[in-house]
Amino acid sequence: MRAFSLLAALAVSATASLAATVQYDFSVEWVQANPDGAYDRSFIGVNGAWPPPPIECNIHDRVIINVTNNLGNEPTAIHFHGLFMNGTNSMDGPVWVTQCPVPSGSNIIYNFTVDQPGTYWYHSHFSGQYPDGFRAPFIVYDRDEPFADAYDVDTYLTVSDYYHNSIPWLSANKFLILTNPTGAEPIPDAGLFNDSQNIKFKVEPNKTYKIRIINMGALVSQYVWFEDHDFQIVEVDGIYVEPAEASMIYITVAQRYTILLTTKNSTDKNYPMVTSFDTDMMDTLPDDLVWNVTGWLTYDENGEFPEPALIDEYDFYDDFNLVPYEKEEPYEPDYSITVDVSMQNLGDGVNYAFFNDLTYVAPNVPTLYTVMSSGNDSTDATVYGSNTHTYVLGYQEVVEIVLNNFDPGKHPFHLHGHVFQVVERSDASPDDETFLTYNPDEPGTINEYPMRRDTVYVRPNGYFVLRFLSNNPGVWFFHCHIEWHLQQGLALTLVEAPAEIQAQQVIPDDHYAACKAGGYAYEGNAAGNTVNLFDLTGEKLQPKPLPAGFTARGIVALVFSCISAFVGMGFITWYGLSDLKTTEREVAAIVGEPLDDSDESK
Amino acid sequence: MVQIFDVSVFFIVFRETLEASVVISVMLAFIKQGVGKSAEDPTISKKLVRHVWVGSAIGFAICLVIGGTFIAVWYTLGTDAWGASEDIWEGVLSIVAAVIISVIGLAMLRLNKMKEKWRVKLSKALDDSTLHGKGRFRRFTRKYAMGILPFITILREGIEAIVFVGGVALSSPAKAFPLPVVCGLLAGGGIGFIMYKGGDFMKIQYFLIVATCFLYIVASGLFSKAVWFLENYQWSKAVGGDVAEEGDGPGSYDIRKSVWHVNCCNGQTSGGWMIFNAIFGWQNSATYGSVLAYNLYWIALMVSVLLMLFQEKHGHYPFLKSWTEKRKVAKSARKEKKRLESMSQELDSRDGDSETKEVSVTVV
Repeated sequence: MRAFSLLAALAVSATASLAATVQYDFSVEWVQANPDGAYDRSFIGVNGAWPPPPIECNIHDRVIINVTNNLGNEPTAIHFHGLFMNGTNSMDGPVWVTQCPVPSGSNIIYNFTVDQPGTYWYHSHFSGQYPDGFRAPFIVYDRDEPFADAYDVDTYLTVSDYYHNSIPWLSANKFLILTNPTGAEPIPDAGLFNDSQNIKFKVEPNKTYKIRIINMGALVSQYVWFEDHDFQIVEVDGIYVEPAEASMIYITVAQRYTILLTTKNSTDKNYPMVTSFDTDMMDTLPDDLVWNVTGWLTYDENGEFPEPALIDEYDFYDDFNLVPYEKEEPYEPDYSITVDVSMQNLGDGVNYAFFNDLTYVAPNVPTLYTVMSSGNDSTDATVYGSNTHTYVLGYQEVVEIVLNNFDPGKHPFHLHGHVFQVVERSDASPDDETFLTYNPDEPGTINEYPMRRDTVYVRPNGYFVLRFLSNNPGVWFFHCHIEWHLQQGLALTLVEAPAEIQAQQVIPDDHYAACKAGGYAYEGNAAGNTVNLFDLTGEKLQPKPLPAGFTARGIVALVFSCISAFVGMGFITWYGLSDLKTTEREVAAIVGEPLDDSDESK
Repeated sequence: MVQIFDVSVFFIVFRETLEASVVISVMLAFIKQGVGKSAEDPTISKKLVRHVWVGSAIGFAICLVIGGTFIAVWYTLGTDAWGASEDIWEGVLSIVAAVIISVIGLAMLRLNKMKEKWRVKLSKALDDSTLHGKGRFRRFTRKYAMGILPFITILREGIEAIVFVGGVALSSPAKAFPLPVVCGLLAGGGIGFIMYKGGDFMKIQYFLIVATCFLYIVASGLFSKAVWFLENYQWSKAVGGDVAEEGDGPGSYDIRKSVWHVNCCNGQTSGGWMIFNAIFGWQNSATYGSVLAYNLYWIALMVSVLLMLFQEKHGHYPFLKSWTEKRKVAKSARKEKKRLESMSQELDSRDGDSETKEVSVTVV
C-alpha cells in the first residue's frame, strides 16, 4: 500500500514537472488608440501597446504575472475571470475583497496554477477601470479536450461595447449623481469586434474553426451570428458541453462561448458576421449610435464585402439548455441564500443597487486580510462589516443562491472562484407590475443535467437558482458584471471556509507591500480595528435613506405658513371693517368740503 | 374640478362685474331720486332707465364679442407651444395672476367708498353735461348721457376683465372658462342688485370680507406655486427627460432644496389634492423657495394693509406728510386754474343768457 502511494506520488510529481511555467511582465500604462475611427483617446495598455496581450498557457501550467503600475494617476488590480484560484485566493484580484488596490509606482505578482481548460479573460477589478481598455483574453489549451480532433484552427474573437469617455469621468459627472435619479447607465458610443471595426476574419474553405468568443464589454449583451453559417457550441465559461447546433448566440458581458464553425466549400463570397447590441439594456437609443457591428468571414480578400442582411428577430440559443459534457444531477442544497435585486435612491439623491436592503460598500481592510487576521472570529460574519453583505460558508457544503430580480432589466451575475449549476432560470415577467420569484414548492423547469458556467443572466422581473459545492476555501465576490451596477453596489461577499483559508493559504509579502505603499490598512476587521474585532466604528456605510414624509423642518414650515395665512386674514378683516370712516373722509376730499364728523354712516 | 373652473378667472370677472353693477345701480338710484329732469316726468324717468339698460347691454355685448374672439383666436393659434418650458409659463402666469388678484382684492373692501365716489363723479358729470350745449355731438351726449355713461363704464370694465383673464388663465384648458365667467357675472350682478335695493351694508361688507380673505388665500397659493414652478423647471433641466418617469417618488424633486416631500397627495395630479393646490397652493414636495414665497407674500400683504390704513387715517403715507401736502396744493391750484378757464369760455359762448354767475375763487 505504501509503495503504491509512493509510486502515485512520483507519477503526480512527474506530470507536474511536465507542466510549464508561463511568465509575463506587465507594465500597465496609458496608451493612445482609436479603435472605432472616431478619435484618439487614452487607453490602459500593457507594455506600450493596446489592446493588452492575451495570456495563453496549457492546462496545469503555472502562470506568473509581474505587474507594475505605471499609470501615474490610478491604482489597479487584475482579476482572472473564471479561474478558480484553488489554494491561492489572494491572486483572484478584486480590490477590497482579496487585495488592496496597487497604487501607481508599485507592483504586485500574480502567481497561480491553472487546472481548468477553456476560454477565460483577465481584466482590471478596480472601480470600473477595465472598460478604459485593461482587458484581454486568457486562453488555457487542453490537448485532451473532447473535440480535440474536430477542428483545424484554434482562434478567438472578442466583442465589446466602447465608451469614448473615461469611466471615472462618466461615473462622477453623468452617472452616480443626484441629477440621474433613475440610475440611467451611460450609453456606449460604439461596438467593437476584436477591439476594432470592419474586421476581415480570414478563413479557408472546408476547414473547421474553433472560435472562442469573449464579451469584454461594460454593459451590453450581444447577439453574435455568422451569416449563412451555423455552428456548434462546445464550451461555455470553461465548461465543455455536448455540441449544440446554433445559428446565433446571446453573450452577456464576461461570458465566453467557444464554437466550432465549419467553412463553406467555395471562396466565391465573403460572409458578414455581426455582433448586435441588446438594445433593451440601454436607457435610450441615440440616433447616431451604430449598434450593429459588422465583420466578414473573408474567403476572398479581393472579393466584395456585402452589408449584412436585416433579420426579423433574434433567434439565439438559450444557454439554459446546454448539457455539460461531465454530467451532474442537480445538487441538493445544504445552505441557501436568497437575495432580492432592486434599484433605489438613498438620501444623497443617487440611485444605488441593492441585494435585499444592502448596497455593497467596500471595507477599510480587504475581506481576505480580515480572514487572515481574525483568528477564531473568522466564522462570525460581523467582523467583515455591516455593508459588505458577507455570508460565511462551511466547507464541502452545497450552497444555493436564489436571486429574485425586482428590476425590469437584465443582469449578468458572476461568482468568483466557482462555476455553478444553473438549476432554474425563469422567463421575464409578463409586465412591469408583476414579479416572478422562486417558490421551491412550485419549481419551474429544471433540466436533468443542469448547465454550468460562471456568469449567467437573470431576466427582467424574473429569478434564477444557482447551486455549487463549497470546495474552494477563499473569499469570493458575487456581483452583477455590468460595471455601472457594480459601481452602484450590486455585490455581496462569500467567505468560504475561513478556517481552511487560514490553515492552507499565505498572503505573499508583495501583496501586503502594495497595501503599505498605498497607505491602506491590511489587518483587522472591516473598520481596520485589530483589537476588538466586533467594534466596527469607522467602517464605511451606505448613505442614509431618503427622509420619509414630514421631518421636523417640514412640520415647522407648514405650521408657520398656516399661521401667516391666518394672521394675514385677520389684517384683511380689520381693513374691511374700517371702511365706514374712510368713505366719508374720501368723499370730503373729492368734493372739497371739510370732513363732517357728525355724519351718520349709511 | 380644476379643469372646468378656474378660480382666478372667477374672481376677476366677479370683481369687474361688481364695479360695473355698482355704477348701474348708482345710476338707477339717481333716476329714482329724480336727477336730470326725471323728477318732473315719470315717462322721462322710464326712458332714462331704458337708456341705462340699453347702454349697459350694448357695452356688455361688445365685451362678449371681443372677449370671445380673443379667447378663441388664442386657443386655436396654439396653446401647445409649451414643451419643456411649460414650467416657466406656469410660473410666470401664476405670478401675474397673484399680482392682479392682490391689487384688486383690497379694493373690493372699499365698496361703499366706491359707491360714494361713483355717486359724486356721476352727479358731477351729469351737472356738467347740462351746462355745455354747443354742437351736435354735445347734444347727443347730453341727451343720452344716462346711456353713454354705463356703456363706457361697462366697456372699460369688461375689457379690463378680458385682459386680466387672458393674462391669468392661459394655462387652463378652454373648457375651464365658461363656468367661472358665468359664476362671476352672476355673483357680481347679484351684489350690485342687493346694493340697489338698499340692502344692509354691513351684511354685504361681511360677505365681501370673507370673499376677500378667500381671494388672498388663492393669491398667496399662486405666488408660492409660481416660485415652485420655476424651481421645478430648473430641476427638470438638470435631470433631463427622466423626471416624468419618477412620478411622485425619489428623483422627481431636488433633495437639496426640499423642505418636505410625501410620495402621495400630488397637487398637480391627484384628485382632491388638486383642489388643495388650486386654493392653498399645496405641494406634496415643497421647497425652501415655495415656502418662503408663501410667507413673504402674507407679510407683504400685512404691511400693505398697515400702510393703507395709515394713509386713510392721516391722509398720507408714513414719513411722506410734507410731500403729500405739497402735491395736494399743486393739484387744487391746477383745478382752480381749469375752472377759471372754463368759466371764461362759457361767458364767451353763452347764447343769449345774460345771467351773471358768481365767480368764487378760493385760495387755499
